Amino acid sequence: MPQKQKTILQAKSILKKFPGVIALKNVDLELYAGEIYSLCGENGAGKSTLIKILSGIYPAGSYQGDLFLDQKKMSFQNLKDAEKSGIAVIYQELALVEEMTVAENIFLGSEPSSWGLINWDHIYQQAQKVLEQFGLSIDPSAKLGSLGVGQQQLVEIVKALRKNSRILILDEPTSALSETEVAILLQILLDLRKKGISCIYISHKLDEVFAISDRITVLRDGESIVTLEAKKTSKEEIIRHMVGREITNLFPREKSPLGGILLEAKNLYVLDNRGEEILKNISFQVRSGEVLGLGGLMGAGRTELLMHIFGAAGQRKSGSIFLQEEELKNHNPAQSIKKGLVLVSEDRKIYGLVLEQSIGFNMSLSSLEQFSFRGFINQDQEFQKNQEYFQFLQVKAPGLDSFVETLSGGNQQKVVLGKALMTNPKVVFLDEPTRGIDVGAKLEVYHLMNRLTSEGYAVVLVSSELPELMGMSDRIIMLSEGRIGGTFTQAEATQEKLIAAAMEQKEPIEDAK
Amino acid sequence: MQNKLSVRDFSMAISLALIWLFFALLNPNFLTSRNISILVIELSITAILALGMLLVILPGHIDLSVGSGVGLFGGVASVLVFHHNWPSPLAMTVSLVIAITVWYLMGTLVIKQKIPAFIITLGGLLIFKGVFWLVIKNSTVPVTHGTERNFYSLLTTYYIPPLIGYILGALVIGSIAYTYCFTRKRRQSYGFNVESAEVTFMKLFVGGQFIFLFILVTNQYRGIPLPVVILGAVALFVYILTQHTPFGRHLYAIGGNEKAALISGIPVDRVVIHAFAIMGCIVAITGFMQTAYSGASTTTVGDLMELDAIAACVIGGTSLKGGRGSVIGVIFGALIMASLLNGMTLMAISPEIKFIARGGVLTLAVWMDVKLNTD
Repeated sequence: MPQKQKTILQAKSILKKFPGVIALKNVDLELYAGEIYSLCGENGAGKSTLIKILSGIYPAGSYQGDLFLDQKKMSFQNLKDAEKSGIAVIYQELALVEEMTVAENIFLGSEPSSWGLINWDHIYQQAQKVLEQFGLSIDPSAKLGSLGVGQQQLVEIVKALRKNSRILILDEPTSALSETEVAILLQILLDLRKKGISCIYISHKLDEVFAISDRITVLRDGESIVTLEAKKTSKEEIIRHMVGREITNLFPREKSPLGGILLEAKNLYVLDNRGEEILKNISFQVRSGEVLGLGGLMGAGRTELLMHIFGAAGQRKSGSIFLQEEELKNHNPAQSIKKGLVLVSEDRKIYGLVLEQSIGFNMSLSSLEQFSFRGFINQDQEFQKNQEYFQFLQVKAPGLDSFVETLSGGNQQKVVLGKALMTNPKVVFLDEPTRGIDVGAKLEVYHLMNRLTSEGYAVVLVSSELPELMGMSDRIIMLSEGRIGGTFTQAEATQEKLIAAAMEQKEPIEDAK
Repeated sequence: MQNKLSVRDFSMAISLALIWLFFALLNPNFLTSRNISILVIELSITAILALGMLLVILPGHIDLSVGSGVGLFGGVASVLVFHHNWPSPLAMTVSLVIAITVWYLMGTLVIKQKIPAFIITLGGLLIFKGVFWLVIKNSTVPVTHGTERNFYSLLTTYYIPPLIGYILGALVIGSIAYTYCFTRKRRQSYGFNVESAEVTFMKLFVGGQFIFLFILVTNQYRGIPLPVVILGAVALFVYILTQHTPFGRHLYAIGGNEKAALISGIPVDRVVIHAFAIMGCIVAITGFMQTAYSGASTTTVGDLMELDAIAACVIGGTSLKGGRGSVIGVIFGALIMASLLNGMTLMAISPEIKFIARGGVLTLAVWMDVKLNTD
């Protein structure tokens, strides 16, 4: 709990309009010194807009209402102004350079120099000092790219706090982190609170929100609906406020009768492009009508497994893959798709969408052959098909010719799903299909999974969120360092068992190779 | 987005009008039917090469070797015709096939060996130049014997007879109007926003007037120059390729997001290699035209043409990162570059100043593009 309830940051009746939309309607926000304050809301509720106002990205004057810092009226013109006043923002996407060292990154943009020359020893020494201050055992001379995403995120936070920030704003900081890394991050935030640093935390993951928050404000459709003390509320209540209606079942899995085996992997050993073994002795089967969950810690090889089976990554050392009893070998994604296997990647911006193109362009991209005749695209057929999926998936956009860039995360995900389903697959790989999308859109994805299995598709679901994995899978395989750490039916699975399987100790190093 | 594009198109049209006005005021010969005929021949050559360049830039690559290639493959055909007495169509076919093969191999190197196209084609620029000079032995090799005419020399000296020109023009206007209305109707049935019937009519009417005026003017000289017809054919080909085939969609997708394209099942490697092969074909065609226009292969044929082609693409709104660009934009870009060069030549401006002016216009155009796209 905040000790003195002293307000340090205050926003009063913020009104922000975009052409045609009101993004924020008279939103008030009050941040106390030394508290962790969470903002919850579905995508498009106005969280990001509010953050951009607080951090000066939308300059004073582009919105109505006032900002006060320590009771003093502020008018930030840009990010730098906000930073100078002690507000630091950490975004979902990292603003770091992978090719540089940790220390270089920490001092990026504010390299201490004398006479225009950088004193490198000083930088490394200082970096070492700040890292220790936060109790992090990260080597300041390590290349950032050599660290895991979680550690990179921590470096980003260190970088932000080095600038003597008093207010830390984190926008979905854990969407790329494993459970252990999340735990470290949350602990750091709690430690910072003790030091009197305030934090505005934005996350779709309510478990995290409840683990650290003092107070929670729910935004819906640009209005602040309610502000509650975390101790006096519940997840259910927050969700109800977020969606404006009661959600009875978060994971509405409806089982379908199982059919024949559609996909089978036998004793797969796979090397990555550096020649290291990333998948070891993986065998599994997926049946028609089944959702197979694939879990594991970051780096356990979940994505690599999907990508390899799909033909997009890794080099097979031994083992075999059968798709509808046909062997897949030295295949590429194009061939996989032709044979009825499709993949929806965890990162829709990098592996899913051509952002500067329209919804229609993206949705039909994998299926152009279907409506091509003698090498020409039949645009009537293409349009009809696109329209069909646009309506089926209830994409919220003015039309098929809207640019994908302008859509919210949930709607972008629907476009990627539409593209995948249009190929008429039999097996669908969903890699973190609900990452970064709101509760309502998540439910729609779950219903879609039910519908797919009821129509005889097989679904392989990769998820870092154990509740989702347990809620939506008929069977769960946990990977641990490239091996199968355990297989569970939905009935057997408990969080403890799954985590234990994911942490399964490495077997003694074999003298193969 | 849509609005900005039209602002951009608008500014391009204005710049073009200003350039024309400028030269027309300074030199009355600029707007004569003779000079217009010359200008459109030069435009055609630049634009055809730029359209090939578009196919390479769309998936995010670049080709610096086309200028040297233009010299080389024009040269190969000239040598076969002049020194070996081959019939010109055969000589040109052989040269064309070699060009396609060479570009196919360059594309393969770029894709399979993962060497950036910038480096491969920079190597190509130097190698082709050297080979070119070896092939023509640093001499002047005419495209035909004496004053004889052959298919090769006619490429840039043949003019469509006036009557056929009018018929051709009517056909073009007719088919454009038909497709335009057809597309408009279809888009309407999809529920897309279409412009009002009045605007469509005005566009077609004005467009038709321009085509008619163009034929009228060129007919006052010798008729529509053949290169314009070749440009029309190449432009139609590239337009259909980029807008109506899976291959074209793939080019845009690869340039927009290569990783997503791969995961979407696009044969990225094959598409890029084929784009290079088509570039090779276009380089050879441009080579024949440019050489025929000069009358002979000399060591300077094709010099800096890669830069004009890239400039035309960029001025026409093509993104060097790939994923954005259009046929009509590229032709506009080429028209700006060709008008500039033609006007300055007409005014006998020294080569030094010509270089500086071309560089200035290119820089200005890109700066404007960036400006219009970020505001």
